[in-house]
Amino acid sequence: MSNTLRPYLAAVRSTVTAALTLENFASQVVERHNKPEVEAGSSKEALLNPLTISRNENERVLIEPSVNSIRLSIKIKQADEIERILCHKFARFLMQRAESFIVLRRKPVTGYDISFLITNFHTETMLKHKIVDFIINFMEEVDKEISEMKLSLNARARVVAESYLTAFTS
Amino acid sequence: MILLEPHNVILQTTLAEKFAKPSSLDVQFVDYDGVRFHLSTPDRKTVLLLSMSIRCWDELAKYGAADVLRREYGPLVKDQPEPEYNVSLEIDLEQAPPEGDERDAFIKSIALLKRNALAAPFELAFKTQKQLEGSGSGAGELMQIHYRDEEAIYVQASHDRVTVIFSTVFREETDRIFGKVFLQEFVDARRLPTIQNAPQVLYSNRDPPLEIRGVPGLRDTEDIGYVTFVLFPRHFANAGVASSTISHIQLFRDYLHYHIKCSKAYMHSRMRHRVSEFQKVLNRAKAETAATERKTASGRTLLSR
Repeated sequence: MSNTLRPYLAAVRSTVTAALTLENFASQVVERHNKPEVEAGSSKEALLNPLTISRNENERVLIEPSVNSIRLSIKIKQADEIERILCHKFARFLMQRAESFIVLRRKPVTGYDISFLITNFHTETMLKHKIVDFIINFMEEVDKEISEMKLSLNARARVVAESYLTAFTS
Repeated sequence: MILLEPHNVILQTTLAEKFAKPSSLDVQFVDYDGVRFHLSTPDRKTVLLLSMSIRCWDELAKYGAADVLRREYGPLVKDQPEPEYNVSLEIDLEQAPPEGDERDAFIKSIALLKRNALAAPFELAFKTQKQLEGSGSGAGELMQIHYRDEEAIYVQASHDRVTVIFSTVFREETDRIFGKVFLQEFVDARRLPTIQNAPQVLYSNRDPPLEIRGVPGLRDTEDIGYVTFVLFPRHFANAGVASSTISHIQLFRDYLHYHIKCSKAYMHSRMRHRVSEFQKVLNRAKAETAATERKTASGRTLLSR
């Protein structure tokens, strides 16, 4: 793990852990409704201060806490065109499977690549520290996966080009 | 299987089967670049009629495809092709060569029908180059083969080389970016000492190369790319080398796109694997629920809803 990644992930981990103090909170606007306040946004007093943790200008995490839910959005590093397209494909692939990921949001918040929505019902049925572990593990693996995919694409392209051109010389 | 084969496998296997045991049949199948084949026995079980439709036939005929096919297949070529098709071959199974290598070679040569039809402009270009070599300057006609709806091959001979230009369209953003990576490797690969003798490859996105800049009807959009191969006389020095060069270069576009699709499929399987890994991590977060059966004092089972 590189030197800047460790404190970045540590900061995200402690912030998310602190933000995950959620309680059941029914809607104050509509009777018998119980919605994630961070998504509904109908009562300002239920929202807490959003927080951005940036590793650099291309990589950051936005954490928006509220009384019964938090929304966490990740911007993944995209250095060039290939990484951009791979990242887009990967995020899309994950979000199409959002129902099996429970805490994943189907659409990212604008300006970010992927978003998670954790409500009090999730923290009631799942272990809090394990959810945080999942988020941190996800952030670590996503970067690794994208750079590996890029490498494998380049390696394949090289083999393809060489074997095509070699056939001319034989 | 990294390299694609120039012959048609369906044609080869069907013919081999029919040579062994003649029976009536009527099959239609396709090859790359929208080429259609029709294999049938209209009159007798032992006479096969093979027809091919290729969308750039008029252009190929102009560059001498009919002569090339007559040279390759001789009396097999029918004067009047089947309606809706461009070329027809009549294969009499009774007059076929005896079983063994000779027959295999015969079948293989028929399976190369599409390759031979497309070879005409290349052969013409090689011939033109030989003629121009003596004069030391000048350039041959720019031959255009619109072998797909939106894509074309341009072949031009000049006194010291033959230039082959492919235009290729990438339908998707992903294809375009992957294509760029692949083509960049084609350009760079020549630096390797083992393939120094390969043809020079140039690649340009959107802007057509100088040779074809004057050609009308070129598209000017972001999704089009041009790949130029510069063939030197050593690539067609003798008949054997020339024919392998032709078979090989014809399939460039299919080869490139085939590998782009393969990479996409690989990425997909990789992402699938990674998603299942993430799933496992998330499942660890789920609190274990007590699975034991709970009963009341009277012996009834408690169900939680």
